[in-house]
Amino acid sequence: MGKIIGIISCNYLMKNPEGLTRDRPLAALPFGGRYRLLDFALSNMVNSGIRTVGMVTPYHYRPILDHIGAGKEWYLDRKTGGLFILPGATHGIYFKNNKFALRDITKNIEFLEKEKAEYVIISGCSNIFNIDYTNVLRNHEETKVDITLLYKELILNADEDPQGVILEIDAYGRVQKLESNQGKEGQGTKYFADVFILKRTFLLDIIKGHQNMENLDLLDILRENISQLKIGTYSIAGYFGRIYSKQTYFQRSMELLQPSVQNELFLGEHRVLTRIKDNPPTKYGPSNVIRDSLVSSGCIIKGCVSGSIIFRGVVVEAEASITNCIVLQKCVIKKGAMLENVIVDKYNIINPGTVIKGQEGDPLVIKKSRMV
Amino acid sequence: MKSIYKKEWIAMLLAGGQGSRLGCLTQDIAKPALSFGGKYRIIDFSLSNCVNSNIDTVGVLTQYKPSLLNSYIGIGSAWDLDNANGGLHVLPPFVGQEGGRWYKGTANAIYENIDFINFYNPKYVLIISGDHIYNMDYEAMLAYHKEKNADLTISVLEVPWEEASRFGIITANGEDQIIKFMEKPVQPDSNLASMGIYIFTWSVLRKALIEDEGKSESENDFGKNVLPMLLAQGKKLFTYRFQGYWQDVGTIESYYESNMELLKEQPCFDIIDSNRPIFSNGEILPPQYIRPKARINNCLVGNGCTILGEIKNSVVASGVYVGEGAKVEESILLPNAKIMNNAKVYKAIIGEYAKVGANCSIGNSGKSARQAEITVIEGNSILTEDSLNNEKKSCFLQFRCYLKDKKWRVKSWGK
Repeated sequence: MGKIIGIISCNYLMKNPEGLTRDRPLAALPFGGRYRLLDFALSNMVNSGIRTVGMVTPYHYRPILDHIGAGKEWYLDRKTGGLFILPGATHGIYFKNNKFALRDITKNIEFLEKEKAEYVIISGCSNIFNIDYTNVLRNHEETKVDITLLYKELILNADEDPQGVILEIDAYGRVQKLESNQGKEGQGTKYFADVFILKRTFLLDIIKGHQNMENLDLLDILRENISQLKIGTYSIAGYFGRIYSKQTYFQRSMELLQPSVQNELFLGEHRVLTRIKDNPPTKYGPSNVIRDSLVSSGCIIKGCVSGSIIFRGVVVEAEASITNCIVLQKCVIKKGAMLENVIVDKYNIINPGTVIKGQEGDPLVIKKSRMV
Repeated sequence: MKSIYKKEWIAMLLAGGQGSRLGCLTQDIAKPALSFGGKYRIIDFSLSNCVNSNIDTVGVLTQYKPSLLNSYIGIGSAWDLDNANGGLHVLPPFVGQEGGRWYKGTANAIYENIDFINFYNPKYVLIISGDHIYNMDYEAMLAYHKEKNADLTISVLEVPWEEASRFGIITANGEDQIIKFMEKPVQPDSNLASMGIYIFTWSVLRKALIEDEGKSESENDFGKNVLPMLLAQGKKLFTYRFQGYWQDVGTIESYYESNMELLKEQPCFDIIDSNRPIFSNGEILPPQYIRPKARINNCLVGNGCTILGEIKNSVVASGVYVGEGAKVEESILLPNAKIMNNAKVYKAIIGEYAKVGANCSIGNSGKSARQAEITVIEGNSILTEDSLNNEKKSCFLQFRCYLKDKKWRVKSWGK
């Protein structure tokens, strides 16, 4: 798909992070044992044959660069095209409800002017799904619309993402209205998946037509011009996980333990690509009890682990017990420690005999590298 | 043609061996490409040693069944060997104006690539093979070679006397200078075994290779021909004593044992040592997926595995599936092997992409782990209960079985 380039917008925040995004942007939040959130958005593009991707970064983007480097694992270390870092505008200031801030793209307009592809696909990075955009592009061309928005049909929860948008669609699949999802609890709704596709020249026209209105979001412009634009839709089939708070992060992580989710996300034709660390295989001790868990490479597991997600290089010593937890990279759970409903961030050492229990449905977060 | 960057040293890695004693494990792949230790292939150890010793130019000599090996090593990027002014080069046999030739022996393989080495014009050449398991700092050996002002330094290991006749045995004097070299002697007079790791001063090696090539009776082998010749010419040959784990996984038994060694609480060979990490070129696979009824006891497990059943004292490589009710003990499952529901696998090596069908039983669990012999199931074969019963042949004990032309053949590979 040389005729399409991608832009991933990472310049936005999460509502209720409780320390998970204290030291890192949401895009770099570790997920699923060895991934980070942006891996899913990036892999979807790369697996669809896109080899030119611009990444709009927030101000503290070191963890993102640390993870993607030159984009080697995503085959984006190219001579032509490849990975482009597009530093987001207005460092440090976030506007509510802004995911696709016009100013972020305007400041990096050279990227759009230089890469001569016909189409641009723009994606957020906080949703977990595995899709091939080839069919989306075909659908976009066949329906001859100006812009195609991807959505997922789902039932909304009570505590909703304030940045979420739902679509009102007519019988022809055209968008009639873009609404905030607040107050729409419980209904079967078409939830905007933060992905849309449009002609590159059309995007450039939009930018040029709104030169002095940089605080706008691209979605605001669609909203204002909805009567003049032909806005098509494409429904995402399969698993779709939204992460917008600590609770949803925990829920989405635990959903990975379901065989159907595992199959759809990880074991299909398109693999989720991520940074390679060259860890040794994981070693399980002689008397451990492990069940119903995801375990990454480079771990040493001697204690008891169940219903948990264990990231790379974690050590669980004998007689330690971990239930319903997410343990991030390189943590050490010492002998006899007991954790339940806890998210342990990177590099933590949990001292022998420590007992930490979070509430079910409201896990406790142990922030990055602290001695407990 | 010469590179403008003169190298101090380069490595030549012999990776053309068949490993015939490994039977069906190396039927379709070169021995260096054989999976090892859950996520590695054997060549990873030599290549990682090169990188960890700051060698940036490696020639890999291939010959036997190279396709998997070639695609695995690629241009060496997994080992950071996709380097400017050097890097990894795959060197297969080639044709010239006088026609084509296969590599006749280890020395001939290097001889045929004299042009390649000349291009980099190194002062020293490290010659290693791609089928040993070890973690070694070649830089220390080079320093020793320079200190001794040697023409050739051979890395040696003390082996038990009773095993000495399996190796190339070196006798050295008090100053570690080599006075005698015997290939697999019946009556060894030393227990210093050559590890097949040589550092040559390039000018000496070049002359020796040309001279050896001129001898029609020579087998063009380093151990058999070149080393005795240099010794006879009075060149300065030294031994370099290596302390540590080194294993030539030449047979099914030694392959099995050295995999099992990794399961020990304190293994002789520690793959988890991060100072000198072993790099490999794995697929990007999801974490291991361990289902509620799984039981894992003393195992090494690679990425992308799905475990529903019970595994015990086993090395399980990446992408393996172990179904519900299945039981795997004392075994090695190679990448992407599938053990279906309620199958039993005992003291066996299951090849890559092989599938042990539901309710099949492999290996003789009647014997203790020590006594039972190793059953090897060839890669890509598919075992079903029917295929086992129809042939009325069990695939136990000293037999290896494999499926070819859709017919079962059970062959003894003996001892």
